[in-house]
Amino acid sequence: MRSQFNSWALLSVIFSILILLPALLIMVQLFAESNENWEHIKEYMLKNYIVNSVTLVSFTGLFTVLIGVSAAWLVSAYKVPMHRFFKWGLILPLAIPPYIGAYTYHGILNYTGVIQTSLRNQFGIKVDQKFFDIMNIPGAVFIFTMFLYPYVYIITKSFLENQSSSLIENARLLGKGSFMTFIQVVLPVSRAAIVGGVSLVILEVFNDYGVVKYFGIQTFSTAIFQAWFGMGDIYSAIKLAGTLMFIVVLILILEKVIRGRKQYSYSTSKVRPLQPKELKGWKKFAVLSFFLSLFALAFAIPFIQLLHWVYMTYDVILSAAFADLIWNSVFVAAVGSLLIIMVALIIANFSRLSKGWTGKFFSKITVLGYSIPGAVIAIGVLTLFLFLDQKVISLYEWLGLEPTLVLSLSISMLIFAYVVRFLAVGFNSIESGFDKVGTVFTEASRTLGMSVTKTFFKVDIKMIKGAIAGGFILVFVDILKELPLTLILQPFNFYTLATKTFQYASDERIHEASVSSMVIICISALSIFFLHRVLEKEPK
Amino acid sequence: MFKKNLFTVVTMVLLAALVLAGCGKSNEGASSKNNDTKKEEVNLYTSRHYEVDDKIFADFTKETGIKVNLIKGKEDELIERLTREGKATKGDLFFTSDAGRLHWAKDKDLLQSVESETLNKNIPDNLRDKDNQWFGLTKRARVIVYDQKKVDKSELSTYEALTEDKWKGKVLIRSSENIYNQSLVSSFISLNGKDEAKKWAEGIVKNMARDPQGGDKDQAKGIAAGEGDVAIMNSYYFGQMLNSEDPEEVKVAKQLSVFFPNQETTGTHINISGIGVTKHAKNKENAIKLMEYLSSPKVQEVFAEANYEYPVNKEVEPSELLKSWGPFKEQDLNLSELGENNADAVKIMNEVSWK
Repeated sequence: MRSQFNSWALLSVIFSILILLPALLIMVQLFAESNENWEHIKEYMLKNYIVNSVTLVSFTGLFTVLIGVSAAWLVSAYKVPMHRFFKWGLILPLAIPPYIGAYTYHGILNYTGVIQTSLRNQFGIKVDQKFFDIMNIPGAVFIFTMFLYPYVYIITKSFLENQSSSLIENARLLGKGSFMTFIQVVLPVSRAAIVGGVSLVILEVFNDYGVVKYFGIQTFSTAIFQAWFGMGDIYSAIKLAGTLMFIVVLILILEKVIRGRKQYSYSTSKVRPLQPKELKGWKKFAVLSFFLSLFALAFAIPFIQLLHWVYMTYDVILSAAFADLIWNSVFVAAVGSLLIIMVALIIANFSRLSKGWTGKFFSKITVLGYSIPGAVIAIGVLTLFLFLDQKVISLYEWLGLEPTLVLSLSISMLIFAYVVRFLAVGFNSIESGFDKVGTVFTEASRTLGMSVTKTFFKVDIKMIKGAIAGGFILVFVDILKELPLTLILQPFNFYTLATKTFQYASDERIHEASVSSMVIICISALSIFFLHRVLEKEPK
Repeated sequence: MFKKNLFTVVTMVLLAALVLAGCGKSNEGASSKNNDTKKEEVNLYTSRHYEVDDKIFADFTKETGIKVNLIKGKEDELIERLTREGKATKGDLFFTSDAGRLHWAKDKDLLQSVESETLNKNIPDNLRDKDNQWFGLTKRARVIVYDQKKVDKSELSTYEALTEDKWKGKVLIRSSENIYNQSLVSSFISLNGKDEAKKWAEGIVKNMARDPQGGDKDQAKGIAAGEGDVAIMNSYYFGQMLNSEDPEEVKVAKQLSVFFPNQETTGTHINISGIGVTKHAKNKENAIKLMEYLSSPKVQEVFAEANYEYPVNKEVEPSELLKSWGPFKEQDLNLSELGENNADAVKIMNEVSWK
């Protein structure tokens, strides 16, 4: 029994090392002596980076929790018209990458945007630009909140729907009003889910490059690019990335502390889903308008604007080459997600069954990839693959073949980088799936004489089917939207929808960027719809 | 037994996936490697991403049979990639839209000298590297645009004059992270020295109408919205706006005019798109063929017409639109200096809190 457990351990160690390698290659350079540029950055810039980054993260965190949790609570506890639609409709904003959201909202609000143009042309009103200015920190917080709150929403909602019914119903029986139930019961019990969701949001904000660059806000990620490319100093860039990683690790530790040892897993199989109550009167109206305006702001409005731009430009953009773009994007996203789910399953299963610190240690390490900016991971991965290639080249020469870069020019490098970057997303989903079912079933199966591996395939995997599908879809959508890493590592003649969108946008051709944006959004939206279906069907 | 298989199964699947993924897209590479008749091709790293470029490359393939493979990315990332790939790179050419970055590539020993009479004839001295490691292919000017109603042309003179108190709260310009602004400040370091360059940057920050935000086109829109009176932007973005499919953008552009600053003094700042053969190019001959093709009058005309850029080839006239803005005096600067001064420019901009 020990030995079979070892194969899980061994695989976990191998994967963890593979995933850590690129980060390590970067980290060794972190301790290089500081140079003149770093002194310059410390003197003039660092404070600004920290203040801006922390401001963005705090407010986005706050608002995503407010909106995400209240939407999750209202959707799971009450019934309003179009209830079934809102349940998944409110996840849809996740389909819009924040940078596309930023391009679109700026397009709507700026001087030649639809609002100001209509005011001018139809009503002859020229408004003060100040009120329509979105390219600043509050604007960025708005964008991040609108397109990232679904992370909090999904996780909290699935927790509330499936785990909290007895608590909430008891509170109701004891005569608590809905508001007090929310404050005294819902918030405390769903703390772990909320923290899990908001930490994803925070990491996304730290990693974002598209929105802050477009809006001209100086944060760590713009600083990394500025130091690396503007000053040609990769060492300072790495120091900045290191500082950022330090902050993120602090946050992850904090998350663990806040979550404490609480694991809200039920040891009986009789968990009843929460039954939503019908709402009446002004309450129904209030909740309905909250849902409607949230859906409008976070999805419908940007979607309609993009649709209009697509109509303006599709005849220029659509061609056979465009079909390739779609295929490329879907292909790398699918292969990447599949690999991530497999690796995540192995490490998560090992980590939950190992009693010692090792399992937990590996599980935390693999999550680190998500805290490193995509561009930095890309360089780490490139370094690793070039090193491997040098080895392969000697082999080739020894065999008398023409030396060539097999690995670093192939798409496997890009996919490997995706695994490093997004493993955390798949891992979190699967870990929380495991958390939810607890270990009683596994233990029962083991007591009955099944091996770890057999139990894994016969029992565990079946219990967390929903988490697996959910993790797959979340990663799939993330890869589809990914930008900096793909830009750096794409092979010759290989583009994705995201890189194409960015190219148009950075050339200030937002209208032309709309077609590829639209396809990203539609594919993601479809995936999210399936995610919803999967979660609905999951055994409760 | 099952348990032992797990290890094997997972490993096999992972490997298979990686191999499949690798093969899926590297078929072309593999076939050219094994065939005796090497396929004619040339590999290009480019930070330019215009349809017109793709069309030109397609024409080149049609005429010569040489296939053009592209990796598009941001210039800095491409440089980093070339550096890391070193000898083993597949890239034959590096094509980007900033002279500073071309100089960097040269500085990092990524490019090689090229002897070509055609290129020397087609491209003026100051628009190519003195060791012929890179060649300019198109030009753009960093001009001042202004509101015709609020500003009289006679009030405008130089970039320096925009730092006077008269323009307080009226100047629009994008962030210091933008390469065009970095190159602009670099040019001032060359022409006037570091101290003057810093004084200029300080003055611009003091006169900014708002915190820098958005792209070049957003500066023009800022004028139309009444946030400021003058903006510094690239000529070709202004050209794009005048010909935009969005009638509102056209309206904005029509409200504004182009002014070429420093005509009596150091000249208007220009930058180029340029190209160089990589140090370890495997298809050097094809690379040179492509460069010569790009500098030929026929192609220069296409560049000029489609993208509102100025041709470098003297035989070719700018498009009608650019001609309507009139001829102008350019900064007399070896464009390599933009690259040499870039790090200093960035520091200066940080020191004066240019966001």
